[in-house]
Formats: sequence, C-alpha cells, structure tokens
Amino acid sequence: MEQTITSKKSQRIGRRGLERLDMLLLLIESLDLNASEAMIWIAHQGGLDELFPNRVELWKRRCHNPLRKSTRRGLLPSSETDALIKLVCLMADRLYPLIRQLLSSTEPSKITAERWLLLRKRLIELVEERMNPRKGAVQKLVNSNSNEKYLENLVLTLALSSGAGGNSRLRASLLDNLP
Amino acid sequence: MKQSIRYNYTSVRLEIDGLPDLSIGQLGESIGIISSWRLEIVGLTQLEGKRDHLETLMQVVIPYARHLVSNVRQTFGTSTSSVQIYPLTDGHKLYLRSSKPDIQPMTLKLDDAQLTDLVRCLDSLRMDTRVIVHWAIPEDVPLQRHQLEDKSPILESITPPALGSLLFLTFALLLILLPAPRINPPLIEPLPDKSKI
Repeated sequence: MEQTITSKKSQRIGRRGLERLDMLLLLIESLDLNASEAMIWIAHQGGLDELFPNRVELWKRRCHNPLRKSTRRGLLPSSETDALIKLVCLMADRLYPLIRQLLSSTEPSKITAERWLLLRKRLIELVEERMNPRKGAVQKLVNSNSNEKYLENLVLTLALSSGAGGNSRLRASLLDNLP
Repeated sequence: MKQSIRYNYTSVRLEIDGLPDLSIGQLGESIGIISSWRLEIVGLTQLEGKRDHLETLMQVVIPYARHLVSNVRQTFGTSTSSVQIYPLTDGHKLYLRSSKPDIQPMTLKLDDAQLTDLVRCLDSLRMDTRVIVHWAIPEDVPLQRHQLEDKSPILESITPPALGSLLFLTFALLLILLPAPRINPPLIEPLPDKSKI
C-alpha cells in the first residue's frame, strides 16, 4: 500500500500537464494585475520560498511549458511540480471571491459579460507576449472563436482547485493520460 | 458533550452535529459519530438528514467535481440512487430522492459558483481533522484516455503525419514515372592493334 502511494506521488507531470499548469498561472496573472508579486509572497507564506525565492526562479520552472517562446527542455521533478500546484491552489484560494463573481449567474449579466471580456483580453495579451505564436495550440488560444469555451473551463478548473480538496483534484487532473 | 461544526462558503452553509466516539478514545471537540446535518444552499433549499445521506451526497458530488477539472462532464449517480448529479449547458442539476415514501424527489439547479461553494464545503468537512469519520469516497486519480471527453486531439495529431506521408508517396511515385536519363557510351577511339603493325 505504501509503495502504491509513493509511486503515485513520484509520478511526473507530462508535457500537456505542464502546459495546463502554466496556463493556470497565466490565468491568475490575468485575474490579478499584481499576481507576479503576490505569487512570491504567497510562496513565502506557504513555505515554498526555497524553490521560488524570486520571480526568476519561478519563471525558470514555468519555462518548461513547451508552448513558451523561451522554452526549456525536459520534465520538471515532481517536487517542483507539486510546489507549482500548491502555488496555483493557494492563489486560487486568494482569488476565489473574484473567480466566484465570474461563475455566478446571480451577478448582473452585463457586468459579468464585461468581466469575461476584460479577462479574455488580458489573457490573450499575456499569451501573445510569452507564448510561441508559431505553435498551433497558441494560435488556437489567441483566436477569439475557439478560446471562449477553453477560458470558461480554465476558470472553473481554478475555482475547483481552491479549498481543502483542490490540490489533490488538480494534481490528479494534470496526470491525466492525455494524448 | 454534543458538538456542532459549521462550514460556510458564500452561498452554501453546512452544519454537522455529533459526538466524540468515546469507545475508541476520542475526546474533546472532535466528532466521531454524526447524528445529524443541515445543508443550506442560499436561495434554493435546506436539506437535512443522517450521516449516510451526507456520505451519498459526497460520493456523487466530489467525483463529479474531479471530472469537471479534467473537462469531463458526465452524470454521477444512477436513476435509482438517492443522489444524482448531471451537467446542463448552463449549470448542473442535483436530483435528490428521499428515503421516505411520501416525500417527492427534489431537483436543484446549481450554477458553477454554487457548485464550487458546495464542493468547498464538502471538502472542508472531509479534510477536517476534528471530524474523525471514515468517508467512503473515491480517491482523486488521473483519468485514462478513454474516460476523457475530448477525442479531437487524436485526429489532430494523426492528420499532419498522415498528410506528410501521403505527399511523400505521391512525389516518390512521380519521380519513379520519370524516364531515366539515357547514358551515351564514352566516345573513345579504339587503340590501333600493335600485332598487325
């Protein structure tokens, strides 16, 4: 039993998982303009300052996303992906009121539509700035016709990654056997 | 002796009452035996029941949320079970059947925000160290390829190499059909036969 738990914990997140993890961090940056500062502060509060003492160290890990302009080869060790997942979950907790506003149907529909529009605009700007535009997946993200549903799913994923059970839920989904 | 714990997340409020299980040495503020619970979804309804009902609700809602994170929208719970949840185009539907024969089934339509509030509430309960109860809830595990909804990437990943191979074969066939260049024999004059001289 112990062996099974150890092998599950040491499973490495694949290419597609790293893409999603970085996209979630990008979404956090789109939701909160001061997110890059907040991430370092949250990392410090959450005991992750050894891995992410500054923005550069965090950026180095995020560059393992194969869609980035300046990408780094290879997969991240599980200790580092676990730290990134924890960071995403802590940030999701912090931003939960904001995420909830986007998902709620009780908010005025006009204001909700404006919020989604602003979020989509910010995310596309960040994608264009940091991702490789020659990749098909990036072109798809930037294309406003195909990114609407993707963005909605990403926001819902972030919402469900918050709270006490969010970490294990997100980790399991990043380990999905995607093609 | 009776303990009460409340979990509160914007639109969902869950309150459980219970006692520490003294037979296994639980003391203080812990709850080992849940006697009752109340779940209030603001603007929709208030539910209450015994521990088994709460466990059934968790067995359906927690895996549903896990699958949503992987973008898999599927129904959890059967048409005969006491709790069933299924996706709608603009939300989620929770179907509750009472064990009492005279009570009609109840249907609740939740939006994404209400669902995440409910999931956070149930997560807080099952992770709470003060509630020492074994919940029979499936573990969060990675989904296999056949469980994932989005099948398009397979087609997308097959198309470019298939097109490439087809183009390569077409050009190879065209090149084979081209006539081979005629090679003329070298124009070298034969040397005079020395024996005849």
